[in-house]
Amino acid sequence: MTATSLDLLQGTLDVLVLRALSWGPMHGYGVARFINRGSDGTFKVLDGALYTSLHRMEERGWVESEWGNAESGKRAKFYRLTTAGRRAVRSETTNWNAYVAAVARVFAATPEPAR
Amino acid sequence: MSYPDRTPAWRRYLRFIRPPIARDVDDELRFHFQSRIEELIALGATPDGARRQTEDEFGDIRQVRNDLMSIDQRVAAHRRRGEQVREMLSDLRYAIRSLRRAPGLTIGVVLLLALGIGANAAMFTFLDTMFLRAPEGVVSPGGLRRLWTYHHFSNGAQYWPGFSYPEFEAVRGAVGNDAKTALYSAPQKTKIGLGESGVEAQVSTASVAFFDLTGARAELGRLYAADEDRLDAPERVAVVSHRYWTNAMDGDRHAAGKPLVIGGKKYTLVGVVGAPFVGVDLDAADIWIPLAFYAEGRGSGWWKKSETNGFQLLLRPSPEANDAQLEQRLTAALRRPLFGSYGDTATIAEFGSIVRAAGPGKRLQEVEVGVRLAAVAIIVLLIACANVVNLLLGRAVQRQREVAVRLALGIGRWRLIRLLFAETLAMSLAAGVVALLVAYFAGATLRRLLLPDIHWATSPIDWPVVSFALLLTVVASVAAGVIPARQSAGTDVTTVLKSRAGGVRGSRLRAALVISQAALSALLLCGAALFVRSLVNVRSLDLGFNASRLMTATATYDYHSRKDDPTTPARLAELSRRIARIPGVAHVALAATRPIYSISWIKFYAGADSMSREFNPTYTVVSPGYFAASGIRLLDGGDFADSRSGQHTVIVSETMAKRAWPGRRAIGECMYFGTRGGDCYRVIGIVGDSRESAVIEEAKPKYFLSLSDLPPEAKDWTANYVVLSADPARAGAITSAIRSLIREEFPGGIPSIVRLSDYLAPQYRPWELGAKLFTAFGILALVVAVIGIYSTTSYGVQQRVHEFGVRIALGARAVDVVRLVVGEGTRIVAIGVVVGIALAVAAGRFVAALLYGVTPNDPLTALTVGACLLVAGMAAAIVPAWRAARVDPAATLKTD
Repeated sequence: MTATSLDLLQGTLDVLVLRALSWGPMHGYGVARFINRGSDGTFKVLDGALYTSLHRMEERGWVESEWGNAESGKRAKFYRLTTAGRRAVRSETTNWNAYVAAVARVFAATPEPAR
Repeated sequence: MSYPDRTPAWRRYLRFIRPPIARDVDDELRFHFQSRIEELIALGATPDGARRQTEDEFGDIRQVRNDLMSIDQRVAAHRRRGEQVREMLSDLRYAIRSLRRAPGLTIGVVLLLALGIGANAAMFTFLDTMFLRAPEGVVSPGGLRRLWTYHHFSNGAQYWPGFSYPEFEAVRGAVGNDAKTALYSAPQKTKIGLGESGVEAQVSTASVAFFDLTGARAELGRLYAADEDRLDAPERVAVVSHRYWTNAMDGDRHAAGKPLVIGGKKYTLVGVVGAPFVGVDLDAADIWIPLAFYAEGRGSGWWKKSETNGFQLLLRPSPEANDAQLEQRLTAALRRPLFGSYGDTATIAEFGSIVRAAGPGKRLQEVEVGVRLAAVAIIVLLIACANVVNLLLGRAVQRQREVAVRLALGIGRWRLIRLLFAETLAMSLAAGVVALLVAYFAGATLRRLLLPDIHWATSPIDWPVVSFALLLTVVASVAAGVIPARQSAGTDVTTVLKSRAGGVRGSRLRAALVISQAALSALLLCGAALFVRSLVNVRSLDLGFNASRLMTATATYDYHSRKDDPTTPARLAELSRRIARIPGVAHVALAATRPIYSISWIKFYAGADSMSREFNPTYTVVSPGYFAASGIRLLDGGDFADSRSGQHTVIVSETMAKRAWPGRRAIGECMYFGTRGGDCYRVIGIVGDSRESAVIEEAKPKYFLSLSDLPPEAKDWTANYVVLSADPARAGAITSAIRSLIREEFPGGIPSIVRLSDYLAPQYRPWELGAKLFTAFGILALVVAVIGIYSTTSYGVQQRVHEFGVRIALGARAVDVVRLVVGEGTRIVAIGVVVGIALAVAAGRFVAALLYGVTPNDPLTALTVGACLLVAGMAAAIVPAWRAARVDPAATLKTD
């Protein structure tokens, strides 16, 4: 882990995984590649944590899994969003955008004089 | 540790052994490792470096693997549960669909199970309130004790619940601080209000400590205070139960302080006891008044006498106290000479549960009947289950082809069993619902029949009963469903599909079921017969008087006694003359007491004979014509004369004559009252023995004195009752005519007219109950068994249509076929009857104590029952036999 990497909260990780799957069914390795490439090394996610997140969301009913063949022809477990999962992507994305916007506003604000 | 390279070849075989969840997780992670390492190598890393980097990027492999497995296990378990529910629902849907196609069978099974379960649930509610449930509203009932004493009475040793006040004081002194004590009297019906409009309520007397011990509190007003609890000159105060307050007083918020007339005396209502407390007896109490009023009218100082001993004693030992030690101390205290009224130094004090029926005292005979009935209910359920099994087996055979096809199409046998079992379960659940209805009505009926005088506080149906019924439903469905389902699932596919008719599987099992049904029915019918014969025996007992014709009539008052009024005897005499003119009244006379339940005796000397101390005849004071009016037979001599003939006369009973003057004719003998040298009362008549208090009692010596000729020792007696012999068919009209005569003759008085048969009815009740209920269950069992025999026989005939066709084609006559079929049916029943009678003889000792004049192994009963069942069995087999005899040989043979 590099000095610039940030520790991610569990909820944030779920948003990222859901986001990855919103492009279509993907195996765990694919999700890992999507996130690490997308973040461009700004933060680094432990791959193991991604798998925990995937399985936990399967338990929650947001994703479902199926065995299939990867591009290399090897057997891999593919994950796909369920209807509940797609709903979760929408609301989590909205939440996340609102959060980011709020953080950005705080960063941009200047202190007001006390009354 | 990494997935691709360090897994030795042999470990790949583990995937066949490892559970699928672990395998999936490993496969998934292995794919990740392989892909990443390959990618890194392609980017120019060394294999070793690529592996290290992959491991670094991944984190703690062991931890992640464990996490994933536990998540996946949860997911799998959840899925399995969902599937099970879905499967069960689909099973039930299938069951209901297929039951709809067989409505007759469904209704039959549901009704059979409902009756069986309902009967048991009803018995359960009865026994539960009787023996198991602590009285409602009592705080920590487990810590309360009822005190009993074991006495040797003249009629044998028994547990006795009654205590006198001196005994209570002795008990209180003996336990000291180791237990709290309280005295109370069981609720008794007492008139509330005035005049003829007065209604009865259950009134109990109790000390203040009684409420403290039971934890009862006032929800309105207060309980009575210590000074109101005094034994001498107590305040007339009363508290009522919440139930009585709601029902009889409309929940009046201002009830406290209002007057309440109890037993003709004015009391002040001071408070309402909080619900649900209704005392500690089965009989719910409505009103409590201070202890002092229990013996009111017996003069002051009754609390110093040990004769007033109708109280019950409760104790609440302190937590440290030892029951056995307390009992020993109480035994010692109660054996003191002061309480020698029982003449017994062997008294033993013993604690019992607050639930009185739980012992150790003797139970009511009705309760004993109830306990037997519970066993009967279980037998009925067994018969019902056997019959349901039988019906389901029949259905299983009919469905062999369907089942075989399903099996051939690949349904698992276990799944098939579940599918078939679901049908039984669906029927049982329906039966359970019906059973609750049955239980509600049967429970209410049982209570009314068994203990009609009990004031029940609880509804016949409540949660314990519902859960009991549910439990029985599940047990019954398992008992009735498993064997048929297994039979079906064991179907041999090829045999069934090849042959057209199907095998004759299970016929032996069905015969066994019919035998057991017949046996259990025989058992119940034997019981019924024994109870019926006991009832007949008790009913035909000669009471000495004519109970169906005998009536007494008098007037009562709320405030004063008739005795205070010197004109009463003359007015009663006038009343009797007017009653004699009512059509349907045959004889009329006067008496000082009722013909039964009135026991008085005085000291007397008879001739020169010495008599044993136990010879203690009672006497009754009557007018001439009393024997004709009461139906007591005059055996020798004559009745009293209307006018005094100058000599004193007495009439004695047969037993008295034999005991006082053995070997001689008693007529003309003298009786002297008070002292040996008094006037001679000459015996002028001997009458038949008559009962003194109980229907079943040995003849007791007694004598009769004339109202107009009383010795000084008995001179206080005056006429109190008109005794008459009335036509039972016109009893209603006669009663109302007498009532209006009493109103005319005694203005302000309340007519009290009693038929002796009504008076005695409760005494016949245990036998009536035994006879009625056992007969009802016996007939139910018989009907169920007949259905079983019928269905088995007709199924057998159906299976053997081909055989009968051949027989008839070969020249068998209809009679031969009928004889063959009926003979087989009867043989099965005969085996059952023999087994059943053997069972009845073995079970006889459980009912022997409740029988009268008949023993359990009575051959006549066994023979009658056996004959009845055999006839029923034959009748059940005749219809199918007739069908067998009419088989058309051409038609049956052609189908082959």
